Amino acid sequence: MLKSILYKEWIKIRLVVWIALGLGLLALINIFLKVRHDILFVDAANYWYSFLFRGYTYFSVLKFLPFVIGLAVAIAQYFPETVNKRIKLTFHLPVSENGILIKMHAFGAVILLALFLLLLGLFTAGSAIFFPSNIIRASLLTMMPWFLGGMATYFLVALILLEPMWIFRGLYAAVAAGFVTIFFTGASIGAFSPVLLPLALITLVLSCVVLFSGYRFRKGEM
Amino acid sequence: MIKFSRYILVATGILVASIVLPSLFWTIFEKVPRSPNIFYSTITEDFVIVDGSKKKNPKGKEYTSEEYEKILPFMFFRQLMADGTMPDSINGVLMEAPSISRASSFYRYTPKRTDSPVPTLWPMFESQSGKVNLSMPEDYFRIEKRMEFIVARTNEVNEEKSSLFTSALAEEGFSFPAKIIAGIPTTRKSCDEGYFITDDAGALFHVKMIKGQPYVVRIETPEELDIVYIEAVDIRSREYYCYVFTRNKGIFVVMDEVYDLQRLPVDGFNPSIHTFRLTSDLFNKCITVMGSNWYEAIAIDDMYNVVATHGEEWEDLYERPDGKMFASIFPFEIRMRDDNSSFVRFYFKPSPGVRWLIVNLLALIAAVVLIIRRGWPLRSNIPDLLITAVTGVYGLIATQFFPNKFSKVKPPVKN
Repeated sequence: MLKSILYKEWIKIRLVVWIALGLGLLALINIFLKVRHDILFVDAANYWYSFLFRGYTYFSVLKFLPFVIGLAVAIAQYFPETVNKRIKLTFHLPVSENGILIKMHAFGAVILLALFLLLLGLFTAGSAIFFPSNIIRASLLTMMPWFLGGMATYFLVALILLEPMWIFRGLYAAVAAGFVTIFFTGASIGAFSPVLLPLALITLVLSCVVLFSGYRFRKGEM
Repeated sequence: MIKFSRYILVATGILVASIVLPSLFWTIFEKVPRSPNIFYSTITEDFVIVDGSKKKNPKGKEYTSEEYEKILPFMFFRQLMADGTMPDSINGVLMEAPSISRASSFYRYTPKRTDSPVPTLWPMFESQSGKVNLSMPEDYFRIEKRMEFIVARTNEVNEEKSSLFTSALAEEGFSFPAKIIAGIPTTRKSCDEGYFITDDAGALFHVKMIKGQPYVVRIETPEELDIVYIEAVDIRSREYYCYVFTRNKGIFVVMDEVYDLQRLPVDGFNPSIHTFRLTSDLFNKCITVMGSNWYEAIAIDDMYNVVATHGEEWEDLYERPDGKMFASIFPFEIRMRDDNSSFVRFYFKPSPGVRWLIVNLLALIAAVVLIIRRGWPLRSNIPDLLITAVTGVYGLIATQFFPNKFSKVKPPVKN
């Protein structure tokens, strides 16, 4: 049963996941080709200097990628369920309604997390060719809110899509927009470090809010 | 679980509302706060306060632009020389452009400087290359378990240079790692004086490179200093190397060559909330310490003795009409950025006073009315009402955005 459910989820999101992975890899290739090119042209010492003292971030092309991926995966996974209220079929299976929604959601979240970790891992490996640990650490600290924002986007968009009433979809979207904006506040390198843990904890608890609109959907809220 | 997920959403709603609504409020209603500039005039032997477009002395006498330029001859000497009104000598000292500009300097410290992400890699310049211009080194150093130089081109540690500097530091009793590293990491300076570094124990060191060799001086401090910030300066008078800001003992300058720590006559300076300004001329230095609604100006002579002081206080944010209005609407606000820091945090700012209680009460009444009109039982909405009573407008919005509609419908069937 669980296997079939997960396979159904995988069928819905696989195309988006492969495209996201492709885009992520393209972005990474672009970043490191550009780093290599610029280091050849301006000399490595000057390139390091612009990162350390001018706040130049060589990875800024990645900023909104996690947001877009989170949004796309959530839409791919939950939009088809709302068309003709198909998710009701799932809820009619002889298993706990909450449990099945939790499993669907956890599957999406794990896939998304794995994708993000893969991209961050490849980024770290690529950066290690050109930069010392100090610069890599500062870079990861700077990128972390973007990736957390991607996860939060996934959780909140799922909430919005499963909500049955349009007016509440709008209200949720307003809160979601306000919250996700926090992650993308323009800030200097490493400026998010004191707030990363609280943001990660909030994002973690947001993983279960889909249950709220799932409940409203089930009860046929109009 | 489902109810719990709703409270998470309500909490998120409150967080977002308490960020967005106050920011909207300030964008519309905030008035420009006062931030006067204070100078010390050798001519009048008194302060000059520049507040907006007004220039006046502490007693309130206003100056015209011409008078203003005349009483600050060191700031406007080019203008005065062009007008032919520059005095030939002041206090018996002949006025010459080079000596005036050599003595002039300006420095400003804001709390943001202490509370900012700092680079952990620094370039070590050759300070006596024999060339007029400084050149960018090919490596950067970090001071963690030891002092390491990393060559940028290869991204590898230069072992020889690293152990040379590490042992030079260890010889002077440096305990690794470094806490604060302060220098001027640019080639656009008159000369290189390397770095001022505090070690793990809080001791202060001067480190530079002379002809490829390490030069390390342990700077003796008169007492235990809790150093929070150091700013190296490149002033033309070569009077001192750097400013040293401490949490417990005020502000010092480290005198050039002799490494004496000269304490500036400033008391009660808190580096995490106060701004510090210093303007220097041929005869005097004028220090201004500024809080959010006050300043204290201190003029000192070239021997660092106080010659005059002046202070002023004005309405604080929450005493002004815009702040009062804010404090009567919102119980608190959350900001992601703060004027005193470069870090992003949840800055929680409770509104002073209790005037916001009225709006909270109105929000509570509105919540009760909405619940009764929908025919929901009040008892199952007690948590919502409590949230609204405490967080006011924010809670009202958040609880309405995520409706508490569990009471009316049947509980889910468990399988």
